[in-house]
Amino acid sequence: MKRFLTIQNVRRIVQGFFLLLFLFLFIQTESKGNDELGYPVRLFLDFDPLILVTTLLSAHAAAKAFALSLITIIITILFGRVFCGWACPLGTLNNLVGSIRKKRPVGMYGNWYRVKYYILTAILVSALFTLQPVGVMDPLSLIIRSFSVSVFPLFNYSVRAFFDTIYNVNPLGLAGLTEPVYTVLKKTVLTFEQSLYDQGVFIGAVFFVILGLNFVEKRFWCKYLCPLGAFLGILSRFSLLKRTVSEGCTSCGACATVCQGNAQPDVKDRWRDTECLECRNCDDICPQNAVSFGFTGRKKTAAMDLSRRRMIASIVSGVVAVPLLRAVPISRPGAQDPGLLRPPGGLEEQEFLTRCVKCGECMKVCTTNGLQPTLFEAGVEGIWSPMLVPRIGYCEFRCTLCGQVCPTGAIKKLSLEEKAKVRIGTAMFDKGRCLPWAHGKPCIVCEEVCPTSKKAIWFEEAQVRDRQGKMVTVKQPHVDLELCIGCGICEAKCPVLGRPAIYVSNVGESRSKSNQLLLG
Amino acid sequence: MDRRRFLKLAALSGAGLSLPGGLQALAEAAEKSARPDLVVAHGTSPERIVKAAIDALGGIKHFISRGDVVVIKPNIGWDRTPEQAGNTNPEVVAAVVKLCFEAGAKKVKVFDRPVNDPRRCYVQSGIAPAASALGAEVNYVDDRKFKDVIIGGEALKSWPLYTEIFEADKVINIPIAKHHGSAKLTMSMKNWMGVMGGSRRQIHQKLDESLADLSMKIKPTLTILDAVRILTANGPQGGSLADVKKLDTVIAGIDPVAIDSYGATLFGMKGSDLGYVRIGDARGIGKMDLTKQRIKKIQV
Repeated sequence: MKRFLTIQNVRRIVQGFFLLLFLFLFIQTESKGNDELGYPVRLFLDFDPLILVTTLLSAHAAAKAFALSLITIIITILFGRVFCGWACPLGTLNNLVGSIRKKRPVGMYGNWYRVKYYILTAILVSALFTLQPVGVMDPLSLIIRSFSVSVFPLFNYSVRAFFDTIYNVNPLGLAGLTEPVYTVLKKTVLTFEQSLYDQGVFIGAVFFVILGLNFVEKRFWCKYLCPLGAFLGILSRFSLLKRTVSEGCTSCGACATVCQGNAQPDVKDRWRDTECLECRNCDDICPQNAVSFGFTGRKKTAAMDLSRRRMIASIVSGVVAVPLLRAVPISRPGAQDPGLLRPPGGLEEQEFLTRCVKCGECMKVCTTNGLQPTLFEAGVEGIWSPMLVPRIGYCEFRCTLCGQVCPTGAIKKLSLEEKAKVRIGTAMFDKGRCLPWAHGKPCIVCEEVCPTSKKAIWFEEAQVRDRQGKMVTVKQPHVDLELCIGCGICEAKCPVLGRPAIYVSNVGESRSKSNQLLLG
Repeated sequence: MDRRRFLKLAALSGAGLSLPGGLQALAEAAEKSARPDLVVAHGTSPERIVKAAIDALGGIKHFISRGDVVVIKPNIGWDRTPEQAGNTNPEVVAAVVKLCFEAGAKKVKVFDRPVNDPRRCYVQSGIAPAASALGAEVNYVDDRKFKDVIIGGEALKSWPLYTEIFEADKVINIPIAKHHGSAKLTMSMKNWMGVMGGSRRQIHQKLDESLADLSMKIKPTLTILDAVRILTANGPQGGSLADVKKLDTVIAGIDPVAIDSYGATLFGMKGSDLGYVRIGDARGIGKMDLTKQRIKKIQV
């Protein structure tokens, strides 16, 4: 009889646990109406040592919570890449998708495993020169961003469309059965409202291509591309856990067919410890029971075999990337995109970019869906970093969630008192479109919704003549530049749809020294 | 109560007692005519002034019957705390919920369509926790439940309104009295903006007419104007405690125009200063002339 409690099955249970924990924390990254979230939703990122290291290099400081990533480092030094094989949610998804295809080629791309080390090298070198590109490829940033901006909105859309259709058509009175299910789903896994994101298609496409690569080879991403995998691979060079193969080995090659990491377990004394995901498949499958893992004896492994030329090329790429991405006009005061409204508590732009890892947690948690991923508004360097788009959603006056979930401190955690004073931009009128200014019609919705007290939007009553020559009294709104914090609720609620009659640009933002308007 | 009315009441109720059942209705009519139009209750406990005000109007059972589905519509428009007086006082809402259940209501629903994030408004206002603790159904508005309703008003011909308002057996309006930039003050008539779907911001172009139109369509069983705290400036959401005045008062009645007319006096205005009150009076929705109202003041 086959044993159930094989190491393989234990690993699967652990993987499932971490994937569910990840999904649970992800779903909890949503306002329930309180000031605090109540769950450590960014926990997975806190355990990411690659972000710790790159942030230390680029910003010379790191958020305190990253101390947790030392645990990942210690575990890797003790046991190797167990994080990749047992805990990483992206790794587990790759594993799952890769298992769909029964017969699969193994180790087709033998030496490609080096690619991820070159990627890692370029990332680390550019971080040394203050660039922070790690978020684009860091697996945890990548999966959280993809889920926030694409996968989860897609899931919500499908579920809602399904239940709404049944509700509206009500075939055979089926809605009576489905509506209670829908209610439960709404209270548990669905978002409060359907959230929508710019770049959702793009970011989703990248994610699905990564999953699709598993059909080329299982865990393609983990083996060949993942920079965190490379980082942990280097650490596991020093791991204390060793794999030994006894004399009983008949070189049948069974282990090579199940190896998840391309660690060439079948080549005697040439085991690639840096590639081993500690999945233990080789141990389970060995018909001779010749494979064992332990802390005793000498470690016999293959050399890492990274070519010097390619290493130099990676280093040079990392160095060149910095001026390549930075020698653009947006770094000049006044030349930047005026619509680049950073979340409240966002650091000064240069500093912001050295920390933001584009994980998208802030976009997921934003109560109004206003935080959106940029494309090139902040330069190529700032791709997929957060930006408030008031026409989609304004910044809720008493909400501080984006600063609470930011793993790197690119967005500072603010108290309610601090939040009320942080200016992310300034609103100004387009008097040619404003109803009272241009058309003699009452409105001042902007004044009503303005959240500061006293209100930054004020009005004066004015007599204007209509087409018939009749005098009409209207309230014409103004912005008090000293009081406006740029939250954008006026723009969001302006009844002049399309191009609004009041809009926010980032001039006057608290975080910038140069992007100011008023004297003093 | 003046002497004439007392005598009339005494005579009629005497007659009612001595005469057989057929004249009972007459006696009831007399009792009704003796009831105040507006009750202004003042005191430090919101729960007790609400109860006293409703008792003075004939008691909750006069309004709510056993088995009723009741909709309570507070103002939960803003992400503000009770001290900031941007939303109806949660204790006032809770007191009404409690009374409805005491009168045998089958279900009590509490909702609003907020301007700010609904989750924050419901929680930060204190209304959702207070009302649901008493067993009320506190749900966010569901977009699917807005249906186009023919209003046939002066400004609003038809508009998507929340169906639960029209499906309920009884509707109780519980607004808060606040300053408002375009309407000057927001009280009971303006509170119905919270059941409007669609792009309701457009009605600001003809606000007074639209509010009167809404009140032609929505006739609450009872209105309780919360003036425990009133917001005197920077409304309708406020934010600064300096703009909040504690009055420890609620005003209860049936005529929304009269209530709003009385509410204006809390801010040193007259009902006729408010466009929607004037229009409401002219259209016969209610009466703004307070000298013709029987106003009972209670100290609890």
